[in-house]
Amino acid sequence: MGVFDEALAASLRRPPRAAGRRWWPFSPAGTLLFAACVPIFVFLMLPTLVVVPMAFTPKPLLEFPPSGISLRPFRDLFHDSAWMSAGAVSLKAACLAVAIATVVSTMAAMALHSAKFAGKGLLQSVILVPIVAPLIVLALADYEFLLRFHLTGTWTGIGLSHSVLAAPYVFITVQASLAGLDPALVRSARSLGAGSLSVFRHVYVPVLRPGLAAGMLLAFIASFDETVIALFQQGPQATTLPVKMFTDIQYELSPKIAAVAALLVGVATLVFSVQAAALVGRRSARWGGRPAAGSPE
Amino acid sequence: MGGQPREDGHPVQGVAGRLTGGVPFREALARASLLVPLCVVYALLLVWPLALLARTSLEGGLAAYGDVVRTPLFRPVMVNTLVISAVTTAIAVVLGYLCAAAIWRAPAGLRPLAVALVLLPFWTAVLVKNFAWAALLQDNGVFNTLLRKLGAPGHPALLHNRFAVIVGMVHYVLPYAVLPIFATMSSLDARLERAAASLGASRAAAIWFVIVPLTLPGVYAATLLVFIICTGFFITPVILGGPRDMMAANLVDLYARQLVDFRAASALAVMIIVGVSLLVSVYQWLPKEGQFGRL
Repeated sequence: MGVFDEALAASLRRPPRAAGRRWWPFSPAGTLLFAACVPIFVFLMLPTLVVVPMAFTPKPLLEFPPSGISLRPFRDLFHDSAWMSAGAVSLKAACLAVAIATVVSTMAAMALHSAKFAGKGLLQSVILVPIVAPLIVLALADYEFLLRFHLTGTWTGIGLSHSVLAAPYVFITVQASLAGLDPALVRSARSLGAGSLSVFRHVYVPVLRPGLAAGMLLAFIASFDETVIALFQQGPQATTLPVKMFTDIQYELSPKIAAVAALLVGVATLVFSVQAAALVGRRSARWGGRPAAGSPE
Repeated sequence: MGGQPREDGHPVQGVAGRLTGGVPFREALARASLLVPLCVVYALLLVWPLALLARTSLEGGLAAYGDVVRTPLFRPVMVNTLVISAVTTAIAVVLGYLCAAAIWRAPAGLRPLAVALVLLPFWTAVLVKNFAWAALLQDNGVFNTLLRKLGAPGHPALLHNRFAVIVGMVHYVLPYAVLPIFATMSSLDARLERAAASLGASRAAAIWFVIVPLTLPGVYAATLLVFIICTGFFITPVILGGPRDMMAANLVDLYARQLVDFRAASALAVMIIVGVSLLVSVYQWLPKEGQFGRL
């Protein structure tokens, strides 16, 4: 995660060489490089470019390019109770996961803020383990675990399993936003008589807000898009949107699935915009001020 | 011996000071208590399930491990996993290097756009991508329709084979390859190239002997990251692959959900954890930025 924010931030910095005042700013080698990359970027965007138009087909069968524009797939989707309840299960599970992840990770990030002790690095990497752990292993382990508490086949079980998956995302973003908070500020607030609650409200919350918002969004996506854990725990009352997509795609590629996919592309676009906006905001907030420690600027 | 002096000038004395990094003991305790909820959640929802998994795999000693290794499916599935992951990683790192270089060299106005083109697919759900590739590659799908219109004889089977799996996987992991390499490139000193040129290197020589070696740490990190992600693929082989493209995660699924043999499934899962942990530990050995002296 860190590396992605870093890449995004780097992309907003000035490139190493200012482009010359020539009509074509690239060297021959540069031109060749860009020419080689055009197909790669097209390849990256291809699924998005195909899915969205397909979702607006007027025909009952999937077609590309669509022979017209209609909202029929979306109408069919919103009248399909199976898809709607799948959406509801996904939302409920994601909200539970985000709630748990936000509370525990924010508290942990506050605990580790400016703390120095042996094993801090180890603790931090343990917190990040769910990001690299193979999903299939977690899926099987969570299934065996929840079976003991009769929680398989419920959205609660899915939400609980997802909360560990979502926690590292909140932790990373909250920790990043806390990096700009001087611990002396917390001590001064305390010495001026502020209680724990009012220190949290008046010192931490203003600093945390952007990181918290971004982290909760990432946590939401981590749960909402997750398929393998939800697949293992699926039941008649607990089929999430991605699980329903997974089973339906194997059966038939229908315009309804295209409509769901187009909606999910919308969600992805939203997340990306929020991430970019947060980063641009952080940059302009720092503008003129002292850059935070560890900042590449 | 006193602890580190605090900013207000009162050093915290003794062992407690040394343990807490100079923060008064009571404050350190209050702060440590903030870690409790996270520890409880991780213990309950990560450590306990994994411990249960390990215990299930060990019911009846190591028998489950022996059974899994001896099944005729085990070898081909492991070979599939390694071959598909290696091919995907190789393609993704080469394409990713080109993309990263293009983003790095792009004029300031184009850079955010180029990064957006990488990050948008990164945030798109796996199933959206798989659905799109299936729609593109199926027999009466977009590519075959196009080929037919161009007058190509017959229509090649593009879906439900290894080609489709690798296309889908390369697409999924490409952002994971681009971003670490780009991060390394953008941390390079812009004056390096001019320094090389002033010492008489041609542009090609400067790139090949100065820039490329300095970006290798990013390439190593990307290669390892992408390979680890590849070995865990589950959805893509099912949707885009055929029966002969089964990967390790699919074998766990087969044992757990189709054969309902949780001992075997757990044993296989433990083997996967051990394998991935070994790969992650390789990361410690990779040259990091600042260790360029060896190159």
